[in-house]
Amino acid sequence: MKLSEADKQPAWCPGCGNYSILETLKEVLDELYPDKSGLVLVSGIGQAAKLPHYIEANVFNGLHGRALPAASGIKLVNHTLEVLVTSGDGDMYGEGGNHFIHAIRRNIGIKAMVHNNQVYGLTKGQASPTSEPGFVTGIQIHGVKSFPFNPIALAIVEDCSFVARSFSGEKEHLKEMMKAVLKHRNGFALLDILQPCVSFNHTNTFKWYKERIKPLDENYDPFNREAALKTALSTENEIAVGIIYRSRRKSFEDSLEVLENGPLIDRYEKNK
Amino acid sequence: MDLNIRIGGEAGQGLVSLGDILTGALSSKGLHLFTGKSYMSRIRGGLNWFDLRIADSELFALKKYADLTVALSADAMEILREYTSPEGIILYNADGEDKDRTVYLNFLEIAKETADLKVMANSVAAGAIFALLGYEPDSLFVYLQKEFHGKGEEIVRKNLKCASKGYAEANKKSLKLKAPGGVNASCDYTSGASAMALSAAVSGVKLVSAYPMTPGTATFAGLAALSDKYGILVEQAEDEIAAVNMICGAVYAGVPALTATSGGGFSLMCEGLSLAGMMELPIVIVIAQRPGPATGLPTRTGQEDLKFAISAGHGEFARAVFAPGTIQQSYELTRRALETAHKFQTPVIILTDQYLQDVQKNIGILNPEYNPIDRNVSEDADENYRRYALTPGKISPRAVPGGKTLVICDSDEHDEKGHLTEDLEMRNVMQRKRMSKMDLLKSSLTAPEFYGTENAELIFICWGSSYGPCREAVDKLNAQEKKAALLHYSQLWPLDAAPVSRLFGKNARVFVVEGNYTGQFLSLLREYGVTGKCEPLNRYDGLPFTAEFIIEELGL
Repeated sequence: MKLSEADKQPAWCPGCGNYSILETLKEVLDELYPDKSGLVLVSGIGQAAKLPHYIEANVFNGLHGRALPAASGIKLVNHTLEVLVTSGDGDMYGEGGNHFIHAIRRNIGIKAMVHNNQVYGLTKGQASPTSEPGFVTGIQIHGVKSFPFNPIALAIVEDCSFVARSFSGEKEHLKEMMKAVLKHRNGFALLDILQPCVSFNHTNTFKWYKERIKPLDENYDPFNREAALKTALSTENEIAVGIIYRSRRKSFEDSLEVLENGPLIDRYEKNK
Repeated sequence: MDLNIRIGGEAGQGLVSLGDILTGALSSKGLHLFTGKSYMSRIRGGLNWFDLRIADSELFALKKYADLTVALSADAMEILREYTSPEGIILYNADGEDKDRTVYLNFLEIAKETADLKVMANSVAAGAIFALLGYEPDSLFVYLQKEFHGKGEEIVRKNLKCASKGYAEANKKSLKLKAPGGVNASCDYTSGASAMALSAAVSGVKLVSAYPMTPGTATFAGLAALSDKYGILVEQAEDEIAAVNMICGAVYAGVPALTATSGGGFSLMCEGLSLAGMMELPIVIVIAQRPGPATGLPTRTGQEDLKFAISAGHGEFARAVFAPGTIQQSYELTRRALETAHKFQTPVIILTDQYLQDVQKNIGILNPEYNPIDRNVSEDADENYRRYALTPGKISPRAVPGGKTLVICDSDEHDEKGHLTEDLEMRNVMQRKRMSKMDLLKSSLTAPEFYGTENAELIFICWGSSYGPCREAVDKLNAQEKKAALLHYSQLWPLDAAPVSRLFGKNARVFVVEGNYTGQFLSLLREYGVTGKCEPLNRYDGLPFTAEFIIEELGL
């Protein structure tokens, strides 16, 4: 059956936070990368993972949860490429949790933007690793019993070289964070983007986020790990947004002897 | 003439080091060598053994019985004694009176008395073994000098003293063996795993990502050892899922990449294999088989993953599966696997096993010169490029990111450009395009090898590592005028069963020899049209086939 006409528009719900993320990212990429040939967007599966299809770039849209290992392979073969992973909370923190731990451990120069709406969208409304206790779904009928995964705290504990958070409803802030992530040069960068899901999450709504997000203080020092961890673990009824943590670790690519003479891709024919 | 030396002892007793000393020392004598390891999944204790066959004609397999059993422990003495041939000798590392073809020498004590160092017991043992074989000790001394050169003159001197002492003590014994003389065989020996690693390195593999799993680790470690010389990035992944997805990313980015594992790890890679099928990525996966299910027998050998390898991964896609039969084929088929993957843009699997990974043979120097395969990367991709363009030849031009065009790949069904689609007409077009590679693969198959007597009355059909044992069985049977032959498959998928069907019509008994319980290859042959009478000849206890085992099973 020929369904191509029915298959042209983005597959997201009207009002989805993904639209503003997509629009903002397009603007940032157009500004920073007028030539898209050195830009690779890598994703797994989920609503956020569809984003690369709506952007002009090289695309590797792989398996659910496996964006990071695929992105790692790409980055290690050609580290002159800007490798950007777009993922969701289920894809990155659930199915891909182990890869998340180890990509940060390696400090490989991948930029991960995680659309975190605290719910599974593509499979229609089940709990995600970041859903709050008590969140009722068709599967978790008595509410979520587990504690939510804290990606910011985990990244700081692992001494991730760049950890930031933003909100899809604050376009200017999001733009600023995206730019900072893309300009980051010494390894793995995480940008957790809070985003309402208008169809399946009626708890963490646009209004809910709007009331809680709080930009970091002007004097906040992202290189202070203890303060960063305290911010990440804060139980106040507010969510810090901004660059929460940075470290001066060397990137994985920079520490590999085999890459001292340049990217592997350039050394194939002559092996120099 | 050939002779089998078996060194048995506990894990941690250094029996592999002793085996290495003997292999190194004997390799310079122009003898044909064949070595193998049999070990338990433990770091200390238990019973392990190292076999070293020496002969004046080419060898292809291990043997069931030893002619010289060197027992380093009481367990080795107890258990391996009955696997010593009646004319053989047992050299037992203990104090005692020589009796029943057993020679007693306490290697540790002699090393302590001679050099005040127990770690030199291996040099004592090596000296003693040379004496019992009736060889002059010169080549042993040369080897020890070379081997311990870096550790200083004192260590060299003490090792030589220990070896001389061991030689002198054993030389006093009346029991001796008749050993083969040198025939100018090569002094360069290698293992299946090392040959595979070298082939991958010279063929241009630039990224290796794997998770350690016996016996696949031997290939992984072999590539790590070559990585500085050939400029290979070797990364230990967090799990096999990461390993396979990393090589998918790497080949997308433009260089050949490979992973190595065993059955359990491959189970975790299945989704990634399917991804490579959908995205048309030229990945190569080495599966070094061991007996399952589950953890099974981690350090033993088997051929239980044939049907798994040809059908693993959800959905339908084209692939090739190779199964080297020898160390030489481990080298040749690794390159062929990489070339096939890149020519047809589809995943390729190499099926080997613990036995073939670990055996060593002096096959001569394998070409170490860097000679990268053709990646079939299109140079003239422009802005109109479509990764999955429909072409008369069915293989779309392949570009890599970072060049003049954007490259879009998707695990979803996709259009020519590479964007996901739910257009069901496009689905059919793309599925037909991908599956048409099976026909292309069939047109360039590696044909099975026939060996032995024409008009044979006993025919062995085999695949992968059972080539060597079957070949020795064929030679033995032919020497007894029993008219034997074999047909060996080193490419299992796509399968062309016609060469098997052609064997029938003669008055022959046909056996399908394979290291599994269910007769997987036999059942595949049936599926692919072989109707003649075949008898299964299986082994699944974790030990490799030998000519003796095969001939005993015939019940002639």
